[in-house]
Amino acid sequence: MADPAHEVWAAAAPLWGWAVESARWGWQNLDDPVGPLLAEHVLLSYASVLIGLVLAVPLGVLSVRYRVVYPPVLSGVNALYAIPSLALFFLLLPYTAFSPWTAIIPLALYTLAILVPNVVDGLNQVPDHVRQAAAAMGFSPLRRLLQVELPVAVPVIIAGLRVAAVATISMVSVASLVGLGGLGGVILTYGFARNFAAPVVVGITLSVALAFATDGLLVLAQRALTPWARDRGPARRGGRGLAVRRRATAAARAGEKGAL
Amino acid sequence: MITFEGVTKRYPDGTVAVDDLDLTVPSGHTTVLVGSSGSGKTTALRMINRMVEPTAGRVAIDGDDVRGQDPPVLRRSIGYVIQQAGLFPHRTVADNIATVPRLLGWSRRRARSRAGELLELVGLEPEHADRYPHQLSGGQQQRVGVARALAADPPILLMDEPFSAVDPVVRAGLQDELLRLQDELRKTVVFVTHDIDEAVKIGDSIAVLRPGGRLAQVDRPERLLADPADDFVEAFVGYDRGVRRLSFFPARDLPLRSDVIVTAGDTAADARDVARRAKEPWLLVVDSRRRPLGWVAAEALAAAADERDVADLDLVGYGHVFTVSTDSLRAALDAAVLSPAGRAVGVADDGTALGAVAQTELGAAIWAVGGDEHTGAVSRHG
Ligand SMILES: Nc1ncnc2c1ncn2[C@@H]1O[C@H](COP(=O)(O)OP(=O)(O)OP(=O)(O)O)[C@@H](O)[C@H]1O
Ligand SMILES: [Mg+2]
Repeated sequence: MADPAHEVWAAAAPLWGWAVESARWGWQNLDDPVGPLLAEHVLLSYASVLIGLVLAVPLGVLSVRYRVVYPPVLSGVNALYAIPSLALFFLLLPYTAFSPWTAIIPLALYTLAILVPNVVDGLNQVPDHVRQAAAAMGFSPLRRLLQVELPVAVPVIIAGLRVAAVATISMVSVASLVGLGGLGGVILTYGFARNFAAPVVVGITLSVALAFATDGLLVLAQRALTPWARDRGPARRGGRGLAVRRRATAAARAGEKGAL
Repeated sequence: MITFEGVTKRYPDGTVAVDDLDLTVPSGHTTVLVGSSGSGKTTALRMINRMVEPTAGRVAIDGDDVRGQDPPVLRRSIGYVIQQAGLFPHRTVADNIATVPRLLGWSRRRARSRAGELLELVGLEPEHADRYPHQLSGGQQQRVGVARALAADPPILLMDEPFSAVDPVVRAGLQDELLRLQDELRKTVVFVTHDIDEAVKIGDSIAVLRPGGRLAQVDRPERLLADPADDFVEAFVGYDRGVRRLSFFPARDLPLRSDVIVTAGDTAADARDVARRAKEPWLLVVDSRRRPLGWVAAEALAAAADERDVADLDLVGYGHVFTVSTDSLRAALDAAVLSPAGRAVGVADDGTALGAVAQTELGAAIWAVGGDEHTGAVSRHG
């Protein structure tokens, strides 16, 4: 009669060896290529999300102010999202060659499908009496937007940023097919191309860790930026419900995209 | 002074919210707009600070058409309080209060210290300053709303059902507070409410709007209750307006009987003498500091042993009392109706009993003011 614990250990032993081997490979190749490619991964994903946010805020603001604008904007960003990433990378190659823009432009456009609806939801959940009170206090429309509406929308916008950031970090790797994939390069060039498992494990692990760390940073940013939204009662439920729903759909879509 | 001259508001969908309104709101007074839901009260109010633009006619402040001023600039000189307070959830209480001063370009320091003054003025503790609105009760939020509206010391204050989302006890407290503030500050207040009791309590004058946004009557509260212009106003002020109107007549002239008072320590035999002399079926027992303890019935005295202390007999609760110098006939009537002895106990400001008044004497006093609608009414700020 075999000891079940022993069986588990026996099965895990090769995995453990694998992990040790991968860690050793990663450590030995930290200066080249792991470190630089990790840095590239950070640069590509962060730049894409940041540019996406810079585009999404005005698009969201316009969509809320002029309701007729929102349906076409939403269809537009969704259509962009439907284009396979690889196709976009190759489409851009003649213009941007192997500069980072070849990866950043498509990735930034993809984040819009998540961020624009979040900015719109965030602005729409600003209570009407708050908006009215701001107008009645004598805020000009621009000041009201910058000092009342956008700050109140921040929790919902950051919820969207978290989904967009994680999705983008996972998608960057695809750009390694055009030589720009950050950790995707570790997986593809050093792993699959040479039929060597350690780089694949290292690439995937670091990519997941980066996603977790980024998400954690955004949670911290949210706490720092919105001390007022902590442990809020009923007032927050509407906004958060909306954000959670949005996150759920956005995560589902991000999943599809990652599988591409 | 705010004047509406032939003001009409027709919304794009054709709804006429305010119809040819002529109304003058005197400076330093509180004018209340009442009317059923949809009668255009909010619309009328918002035409003052240009949140709504009239379709016809003009709204002027001290003779100048409000359309002569840029809306944000105009609004910084007009305080505005709404039902849900409309506080900014992302700003602390102090920053909420400092909103308009900051918009006017005051330094952070000065705005902050002004916020501190206002917290005190509306009766909040200094430690509330750094809380966020969701950490306050509804009544406290409403106080912050009032403080925020007053922060830049605007001459005009617009209030749209500011107290209707809080419970009746808190509401009564906020109303008293507003009256106290108004005594001190003398703003030109336009106050919207559904509640005729609130209107009567708060208003120097009341404007009743009927559905369709037409003005039905403008008058001082006591005049409105005494002499409604038509059936609509009469129905609106309620069929118990006669009783309500008593709140405008002072209780101080009521004939109080002090010969029905016996003090703890007196014996039942003494008390029987007092009752016989006063020819009253009830005596009021007070303690050694003349605070009321309760009523004792003459029958109970008859049955008691001569040497018993009156305070040890079965006393009947005296319900609530009225303060002779400040309360109205309405309060006295209420105290008499609720008293098991059918008599109201009148007390001095320090709570000591001055005497009692029976329903018959009250009835005579009420009858006396009922026949006369002008003289004797208490002036609000008198
Ligand atoms: N923006 C708008 N567009 C169209 N109609 C409106 C608008 N605002 C108000 N109305 C209509 O104008 C009428 C008066 O509305 P208003 O809000 O001034 O009434 P109110 O007396 O304040 O009512 P309530 O006591 O319920 O607050 C109502 O019939 C309302 O439906
Ligand atoms: Mg209203």
